[in-house]
Amino acid sequence: MSLENFLFGVYPYIAGVVFILGSWIRFDREQYTWKADSSQLLGNKGMVLASNLFHIGVLGIFFGHAAGMLLPHSWWQLVATDVQHQYIAIYAGMVFGGLAAIGAALLFYRRMTNDRVKSVSRFRDNFVIFWLLATALLGLNTISGSMHHAADGDVTIMLTLAEYVKSIATLSVDPSLLAGVPHTYKLHMLFGMTLFLVFPFTRLVHVWSVPLTYLMRPYQIVRRKRMRTN
Amino acid sequence: MSHFLDRLKYFNRIKSTYSKGHGIVTEEDRGWEDTYRNRWRHDKVVRSTHGVNCTGGCSWQIFVKNGLVSYEMQQTDYPRTREDLPNHEPRGCQRGASFSWYLYSPHRIKYPLIRGRLLDLYRSERSSGKDPVESWEAIQSDKEKRDSYVGVRGLGGFARSTWDEVVEITAAANVYTIKKYGPDRIYGFSPIPAMSMISYAAGSRYLSMIGAGVGSFYDWYCDLPPSSPQVWGEQTDVPESADWYNSKYIIVCGANLPMTRTPDAHFAVESRYNGTKVVSMAPDYAEYVKFADLWMPVKQGTDAAAFMAMGHVALKEFHVDKQDPYFAEYARSFTDFPMQVILEEVNGKMVTGRFLRASDFDNNMGEDNNPEWKTVVFDSKSGSFVAPNGSIGFRWGEEGKWNILEQAAGNEIEAELSCIDSKDAVVDVTFPHFNPEEGDSIVRKIPVRKLKLANGDEVMVTSVCDLQISQYGIDRGLGDNLATSYDDDTVPYTPAWAAKITGVPAADLEKTGREFADNASKTRGKSMVILGAAITHWYHTDMHYRGIMNLLHICGCVGQSGGGWAHYVGQEKLRPQAGWAPIAFGLDWQRPPRHMASTTYWYFHTDQWRYERVEADNLLASTAKAKYRGNQLADYNVAAQRMGWTPSIPQFDQNPLELAKEAEDAGATDEAAVSKYVAEKLQKGDLNFAYEDIDAEENFPRNLFVWRSNLIGSSSKGHEYFLKHLLGAQNGVLTEGTEGKACKEVKWHEKAPTGKLDLMVDINFRLNSTGAYSDIVLPTATWYEKADLNTTDMHPFVHPLGKAVDPAWEARSDWQIFKTIAKKFSELSEKHLGTVKDVVSLPMQHDTAAAMAQPFGEVKDWKKGECDIIPGKTAPFFKVVERDYPNTYAKYIALGPLMKKLGNNIKGIDWNTDHEVDELAECNGTIKEEGISKGMPSLAEDIHVCDAVMRMAPETNGEVAHKSWSGQSKKTGISHSHLYEGRREEKITYRDIVAQPRKIITAPTWSGIESEEVSYNACYTNLHEKIPLRTVTGRAQFYMDHEWMLDFGEGFAAYKPALDTKSTITIPEDVKKKPHLKLNWITPHSKWGIHSTYQDNLRMLTLFRGGPYFWISEEDAQSIGLVDNDWVEAVNANGATMARVVVSQRVPNGMALMYHAQEKNVNVPGSPSTGKRGGILNAVTRTVPKPTHMIGGYGQFAYSFNYYGPIGSNRDEYVVVHKVDQNVDWLERELTPEREKKKNPPGINN
Repeated sequence: MSLENFLFGVYPYIAGVVFILGSWIRFDREQYTWKADSSQLLGNKGMVLASNLFHIGVLGIFFGHAAGMLLPHSWWQLVATDVQHQYIAIYAGMVFGGLAAIGAALLFYRRMTNDRVKSVSRFRDNFVIFWLLATALLGLNTISGSMHHAADGDVTIMLTLAEYVKSIATLSVDPSLLAGVPHTYKLHMLFGMTLFLVFPFTRLVHVWSVPLTYLMRPYQIVRRKRMRTN
Repeated sequence: MSHFLDRLKYFNRIKSTYSKGHGIVTEEDRGWEDTYRNRWRHDKVVRSTHGVNCTGGCSWQIFVKNGLVSYEMQQTDYPRTREDLPNHEPRGCQRGASFSWYLYSPHRIKYPLIRGRLLDLYRSERSSGKDPVESWEAIQSDKEKRDSYVGVRGLGGFARSTWDEVVEITAAANVYTIKKYGPDRIYGFSPIPAMSMISYAAGSRYLSMIGAGVGSFYDWYCDLPPSSPQVWGEQTDVPESADWYNSKYIIVCGANLPMTRTPDAHFAVESRYNGTKVVSMAPDYAEYVKFADLWMPVKQGTDAAAFMAMGHVALKEFHVDKQDPYFAEYARSFTDFPMQVILEEVNGKMVTGRFLRASDFDNNMGEDNNPEWKTVVFDSKSGSFVAPNGSIGFRWGEEGKWNILEQAAGNEIEAELSCIDSKDAVVDVTFPHFNPEEGDSIVRKIPVRKLKLANGDEVMVTSVCDLQISQYGIDRGLGDNLATSYDDDTVPYTPAWAAKITGVPAADLEKTGREFADNASKTRGKSMVILGAAITHWYHTDMHYRGIMNLLHICGCVGQSGGGWAHYVGQEKLRPQAGWAPIAFGLDWQRPPRHMASTTYWYFHTDQWRYERVEADNLLASTAKAKYRGNQLADYNVAAQRMGWTPSIPQFDQNPLELAKEAEDAGATDEAAVSKYVAEKLQKGDLNFAYEDIDAEENFPRNLFVWRSNLIGSSSKGHEYFLKHLLGAQNGVLTEGTEGKACKEVKWHEKAPTGKLDLMVDINFRLNSTGAYSDIVLPTATWYEKADLNTTDMHPFVHPLGKAVDPAWEARSDWQIFKTIAKKFSELSEKHLGTVKDVVSLPMQHDTAAAMAQPFGEVKDWKKGECDIIPGKTAPFFKVVERDYPNTYAKYIALGPLMKKLGNNIKGIDWNTDHEVDELAECNGTIKEEGISKGMPSLAEDIHVCDAVMRMAPETNGEVAHKSWSGQSKKTGISHSHLYEGRREEKITYRDIVAQPRKIITAPTWSGIESEEVSYNACYTNLHEKIPLRTVTGRAQFYMDHEWMLDFGEGFAAYKPALDTKSTITIPEDVKKKPHLKLNWITPHSKWGIHSTYQDNLRMLTLFRGGPYFWISEEDAQSIGLVDNDWVEAVNANGATMARVVVSQRVPNGMALMYHAQEKNVNVPGSPSTGKRGGILNAVTRTVPKPTHMIGGYGQFAYSFNYYGPIGSNRDEYVVVHKVDQNVDWLERELTPEREKKKNPPGINN
């Protein structure tokens, strides 16, 4: 198997399986590690800006990628031309990617320089923020290429990438789709996939547990003692 | 089953709803709750307490899970108190609750440690074929080798070793030292036995058996108030905290009840609910101020003036203006108020002289037994002078009349308080005075009687009462125009006068004095003063204390439940003392042990005397005879030693074993002959006391054991001098030390010795500053890992320390550690020591007839030719003790034969203890091994020792109480059996107290009682059972007639300003140029630690700044540009301390307040002035001994261990505070040869 095939044919599934199974195992076995590990108590300076920039950016990016890549192409065609689609992707990516990158850079800087935060940071804490920053920057790095494509009215790359992502999601991965895709995109994709790989081993697991239901919970909850019936 | 799968049942989560959907019922997994349940789940609970010097004595439950201590919680099963008293519990505080952290913390000492360089040296000597003692000798006799490990003390470099190896080295060092220099060159320091008495006894037993010195701590810690021995002949006795509840008026002075008496403070609160008025005296807004109805913010160190003013009011309104009948009756029988004093002329002025004695009268008033020791009153019934019962002369040599019944020669008497109505004359008497602006004396008109003594002298006599009233400045119409009003601020001791000095409004002093007395009058003495370290730790503490005692005696409070003197400063009460002492000092095998007054010991051996800036002459009263004028403080101490007053360890400039051998060779076959031989040798000058040349190599302390203590990190007043001279380590002493050259009695060496100790052994569970400077560190069991006993004076219960878990890692209990050392020592001494004789010098002891050695308080110095040298009379006793060294171990593990042969005793009462020894043989089993201790009761295991102590003590064995009280009755002629009768059958054992703390049985060891009617209170039996106080007069003394007391102006209490230690004269030039403050260095007890314990505990560090800190006032801070949390340096001639500054309104201007015993082990940076690590609280202090504390051979002024001796005061000290570069230097650098060599601060050469 060629390296290309491994990286884009097998690796996505390794990352995906580790992501799902790893999260599951950690959630079941290590409940007390299932947390955001916030260090805000140790140093709140600049956090309003850094944390909000980062989180807004990352959420925007996440949903943008999902919408752009996973929604059927036909749905897009109902609301926009392909070139318009490409411009939406570019500007949304630029804005949210930019926010995320600035936020991540600030957070990374803080983690490296704040003595109190530094002394509680483990390797994985340093690694994950670095990786997020790098991924975001690599994503931004694809914008100039995409700009050219949009200007030329050539949306093939975008559509190919969407098709590739869908091929992963439908368990019929086809690495050959990426044959003509520039390396800048591929590198960004590899970094992105690796995020899923490391996800269960880092503080990122808190993503699973956004307490949305809290908004709708009743005032009182009685947790009944579970009756054993065997 | 799976948290994840549970989540998948999201839509099925709600099983039912209620309250219109506002509530839901779910069946979510509740497994997470077990986490919290398991946190508090445990396998067993064991009772223990904390053997720390806090006097808490709190019962704790120790919870053990999976073989580890998981946490501790307050135990709440104390026996009940009386129906009308609040309960004792809950006892305990935040510090105790954090103790379990230590067990598994990074501070824990896990293995035997030894200084790596020493280990290498020793191993190489051993591998060359030398035996252990020869190996030690080889290291010690090679200067380079010795210096190589001595010089790096405090700089890390420990290596892990084995028990076998370190014990061998320790034992070898002991054997070598005994052989070469004598056993008295070995010293042990451990404080406050009551907090874990078996552990204390372990070291002191071993050391006493080998003839080493055991050092006092109570005086050294400056917790001993020497005024208590001076006034009452009692080391210290105080009410239990429950008695606060019985009081109706309490003045709290320098004792921070909620902070330092945390488990007891509730009684103070409850007392207030019960209607008690509380007045607080504190310079700062201390926590206890919040308890009070009135806060009198007294300037630190001026408490004497405040109390003298209150005494002035009480005396005037309740004795002079009108005579309160209860106060009069109390003063007559319980105090020396009626005792007659001879006036004498000194330097052309009439001053107070000695007490009138029976021996001054024809035929000794018919009192032929000790007539010089029977003081005299004027009996208004018979109209004549009589010698009332109870003075010290009645205590020894006769029976049945040592009591304070109002009797003399069998007749009822009524002692006259004042002769003002039947005076023969009025004379001017000069009293010494010390307030600098007011001259050095005050003259008062005193009514007197004229009298012709048996020797023909015509003298004038007057009562202590008459003298005292006048000295207080109260006008009695005798024409000396004294204070007619309290507002007269020109007459010392009026409230207005005191207001000038103390800063407390005169009206408050007047009102408090009046209310205090009025309450005492109405309640028969239920007025109390609770006092603490803030007034104890001063050079002139005696004056503070006697000012208070005077007020209490004027008001009839001492000895009454709810009243009296409540001194709470490191005073833990070793309840079963009588059962403990024989074991602790090996008295069951040989007597006497070598006890030492530690202040003297450290003052000399750390060479602080060389830096002495206080001149004794400046302390002398204007009225002094001052035979020793021109002598330095150190000289006074040497004189006191040779006169047999105070001990001397090492004793002589000769090995006492050699001395004994020499005497024997010269034909001295018995003790009397040896004693005579030694005395003659001293007289001829062929033998000298070691302190006369303390810097000579042969007089160095060679081996030092420190256990249960943090000598270096906490109590080393003059810390940097310890580092420099005793240890030879990097130090911060900032002067050369040439002042000592002025000494007359101590030989001067131009070059001061450094690194005197060959070996320092620290036994501890945590690595504190003492361990850091030691050569060997042994891991000991914590308070949750051993069986031991704990008692306190704050409550009447005996507590166990319980073994919740085995000692962790390689730790062992102290009893087992010293047992191990004793075993190795015995083996090594077979070859090197054998059985030899030892000459032990012993000062005249309190509670023995030897306390009557030197009549009239006259000082006669044999060395000056004023008298002959007579051991036990004008010089120490010289006792001969056999040292059967190879049997040290066999003796250590068995209760020896002297308990049957000589019996037991306490406070001069003897009793037979045969029965208890036999019972112990049954209870503990006997020694089975062949040898001298075969068949004797075993002391091999910790619990054996606990039971032996309790079986032999009257407090825990009713039968012993009976025997000891019967002995007391013989002396007093009064039956005291009602005090213990109901409990005579009781015997408390270790297993009993493990089940529940037990209340002790009333014993003659103590002056209070356990009863259903009253709480424990000091001097209760003196007042109610008519047992005399153990003073010359047998009464509480307002007046002391010893020559040195008069020389130093302390015949009566007086206000003396704080001592000028002159420490801030010398400070580095760099500091002088910068903005700086000169502040009084005040070191109170800590909120987040008990001395140095707990303050390095993560839990306590988290509660405040996490490192060293001290408080200063806002205004002071502003004046030199300091803001809160700045790094600052406190520096003076003694050294420097680094800390963060806490800027607070709490403290007044002029004071730097550093919580006591923050030591060097957490977050202490380097000091810019010394270039060394920034010290501890005591790095800027230095000990200054006080000559009056060295007096001996005279009634209550007689030596006893921790009973009398110079105190290590430290609050008179000033420091210079300045801001340092905030980028502090942590000195985290490699140890280079240059750095190693540079031991002194820059510019210090000696």
